[in-house]
Amino acid sequence: MPNRILIVDDHPSFRATAKIMLLADGFEVVGEAEDGRSALEAVERLRPDLVLLDVQLPDMDGFTVVNELRRRDPYKPKIVLTSSHDESDFGPIVARCGVAAFVPKGELSGAALRAVLR
Amino acid sequence: MRRRTFAGVLGLGLLLTAGTLALLLASDHMEASAFAFAAQLLAAWSFILGGLFAWARRPDNRFGPLLTAVGLAVFVGALSASNESLPFTLGWTFGGIFIAVFIHALLAFPRGYLETRLVYAIVGIAYVELTLGALLISFFDDPDRSCTGCPENAFLIVDSPNAVAAINGVLIAVGIPALCASLYVFRRRWEAASVPLRRILLPVYLTASLTIVLLAVALAAGSFSTRAGDTIFWAVVVTFASVPVAFILGLLSGRLAREGVGQLILELGQTHAPGELREALARALGDPTLRLAYWIPETESFADLDGEPVELPQGRGEELATMVERDGHPVAALIHHRSLEEDPLLVEAVAAAAALALENERRLAALAKAQARIQALIDAFPDLIFRMDREGVYLEYKGKPEDLAVPPDQLIGAKAHDVLPREVADLLVGGIQRAIDTGEIVTGEYTLELDGKPRDFEARIVRSGDEAVLIGREFTDRNRAQAELESLHAELQQRHRDLEHERDFIRTVVDSTPSLLCLITPGGHIVRFNTSLERLSGRRENDITRGEAFWDVFIVPEAREHVRAAIEQVVAEGGRGEFEDTWITTDGERHRVTWSTTPLRDDRGDPRLLICGMDITDRKRHEDELRRSRARLVEASDVERRRLERNLHDGAQQRLVSLSLMLRLAQARTATEPEQAEQLLGQASDELAQALEELRELARGIHPAVLSDRGLSAALEALVSRTPLAVDLELLDDRLPEPVEAAAYYVVSEALANVAKYAEASSVAVSIASVNGHVVVEIADDGRGGADPAKGSGLRGLVDRVEALDGRLLVESPPGRGTRIRVEIPCE
Repeated sequence: MPNRILIVDDHPSFRATAKIMLLADGFEVVGEAEDGRSALEAVERLRPDLVLLDVQLPDMDGFTVVNELRRRDPYKPKIVLTSSHDESDFGPIVARCGVAAFVPKGELSGAALRAVLR
Repeated sequence: MRRRTFAGVLGLGLLLTAGTLALLLASDHMEASAFAFAAQLLAAWSFILGGLFAWARRPDNRFGPLLTAVGLAVFVGALSASNESLPFTLGWTFGGIFIAVFIHALLAFPRGYLETRLVYAIVGIAYVELTLGALLISFFDDPDRSCTGCPENAFLIVDSPNAVAAINGVLIAVGIPALCASLYVFRRRWEAASVPLRRILLPVYLTASLTIVLLAVALAAGSFSTRAGDTIFWAVVVTFASVPVAFILGLLSGRLAREGVGQLILELGQTHAPGELREALARALGDPTLRLAYWIPETESFADLDGEPVELPQGRGEELATMVERDGHPVAALIHHRSLEEDPLLVEAVAAAAALALENERRLAALAKAQARIQALIDAFPDLIFRMDREGVYLEYKGKPEDLAVPPDQLIGAKAHDVLPREVADLLVGGIQRAIDTGEIVTGEYTLELDGKPRDFEARIVRSGDEAVLIGREFTDRNRAQAELESLHAELQQRHRDLEHERDFIRTVVDSTPSLLCLITPGGHIVRFNTSLERLSGRRENDITRGEAFWDVFIVPEAREHVRAAIEQVVAEGGRGEFEDTWITTDGERHRVTWSTTPLRDDRGDPRLLICGMDITDRKRHEDELRRSRARLVEASDVERRRLERNLHDGAQQRLVSLSLMLRLAQARTATEPEQAEQLLGQASDELAQALEELRELARGIHPAVLSDRGLSAALEALVSRTPLAVDLELLDDRLPEPVEAAAYYVVSEALANVAKYAEASSVAVSIASVNGHVVVEIADDGRGGADPAKGSGLRGLVDRVEALDGRLLVESPPGRGTRIRVEIPCE
């Protein structure tokens, strides 16, 4: 069961809370990134099983990061998009971009991620 | 010379006389008859002396020499007394030659030369008969038949009485008609002659005609040339010899007429009526056809007593002019018959005697001419002319009866005061006396009522000896015409002034209107343009601009072709059109102009196109500014939304997400790790408080509730209380319209935020005041200054907000001396 996670979010408080929660639920948090560019670099370097990717990043949005990852690297980690907005706020683009799941930040938990990865 | 000729002639005559006497005395066959000799001498010398007399008197006239020749020719016949054959034969044959010369002389009388062909023929026949005819007879006539003891005929060929008779018959048949013809010539000349000429012709023609008649009879008797002692021949000789005497008698009668000059002088001494002088002179000259021509010095020509011009005769006509002079100046010309040439002394005497009288009469003629001229002038005057004496009595008048105050028959002898109104009479009589006393020309004007109509006169009074001449000229019509003219003139001037006012008005309107007006020809050439266009374009309406194409002068280069085509099309379609183009000034400045064209005609009726333009550059700028301002407001609104979304997302939302996670973590650990759970709950509570604070701040940023609930003053107090600056606040008590309060609040809020961020100020003063219907908001700090409203969207957004309310925002921010923002918003 892959459980090595990279957390990508520009809000430090969210990253901290999410790390505590995922660690508590048995995930290994291999790294954190605060924007899209550092996220791409961290994936190449850390090879996580799962990337928890915030949609709204300061330099590029989450959908762009997904496309970049698909384009430049044969390595394909599972990606879970997250946002303080609801999935319906983004429309069909979420389904089209080919990520594993969309989990609202308020509903994030280890169980929710496992259910997606299963 | 002449005297020698005369002496020679006389000598020859005496010699011939002596020779004749000698021949007669020695003659065997001719008796020395004293009677015959005396007759011959009488005839010869009568002609010689008469001829010399005529010759002396008129040397250039051949009549004198011809008469003399007749006398000398008489002696040819004396040769027949010779005892020798040849002289006898010559005398016997040619003794009648003097008759031919005689006829020649008569027919040349009185002019001295032959004139017509008939006269030439007569004279020619006479010479031929008495020379060739006589010679022919001598060939056949033997003198022995009639003369005993005569010498031989030297020319005789054969004695033939029949031949002689035949030749004589021919000579008579030709000779008698020739003689009759000469009588006819005399008669014709007599009829054509003037009276003085007839006086000369009469004795000559009488004796000559008698001689010729006798000659004809003698010829008819066939007795001349052979028989000297014949009775008829002697009668011929006597009448013949009397011809020169008759000639001299004729001249003497002229000379006697000269005695009439004495009578003339006597007559001239007496005064005589015009024209009598001519009759007296005609009598004295014996020429009733005499005419007088008087010299008029002013015109340098001759005239008669009536002033009519007279041409003097020229050339060889019947009339001749003799000039009469006095003291070397011409006085008159006597135009008389040419025959008076025969007696120049008479003419001269008459002319000299009459010079004075002629001079007087000449003056009379000149006077008559001048008087006629003056009378003509007076008659031509339309004026009334009165001759009046010192007392104002009318002596004479000239003029139309209807112009007189009384009928003409009552005027002469009447006094002015009797026929004229008193004031007019006073004026005229006073003027007459003044004119007579001073010699000045006195003028005056008066009005008379004639036939019920007032008529205006101007009087000019001139002294004439001790009387006066008054010339009255009517000027009623002139006055009326003058008044009419003046009224017309005044009307014309008024119209002119009206037109000038109208023109000034139009000019003022044209020049003061902000519209750009330009008058062009249909071809696009500038005729003129108004002051507004001058100001806009920087062009002056001079000769250079005039006549240039409108588009070349006023339109930007890239649009010229388009404008030219547009005007062309407008002209073709009737002249009206509306356009918008960019016009250009001399400085290259560009103006957006909407313009229209209107067809019209100028004051000369030429077709023109009026271009009327409106500079909309400023309007366009305002429109653009408004558009940009709206765009900025929209953009500002969008930015504000994004900021809100971001702030919500990054602030309260994140805190709530974290709070949510923390609460679920705490919940999960309540049982197993209660201490950690409690710690998590504590963190969650802090998160929640911060989220609330951020939401409150956010709400205030969107629109402070206190502003709408409690007004600008309360809102500003709240704002100032949250500001870390020392703010001196001056506020209004009254509420203002909501948009004004909002604008004022955000201006202060943004200004204070800027002061806090950039100004490094120690104090800020905020004041709200109401001035002249405007709310005036001022924020002044003591910071570093140098703020630029063009930079940064904050101030720019405030400007838009203020201008949207027709207000204005001013920023004064000199570097180092603080910043003062002043906002004025109308608020009625």
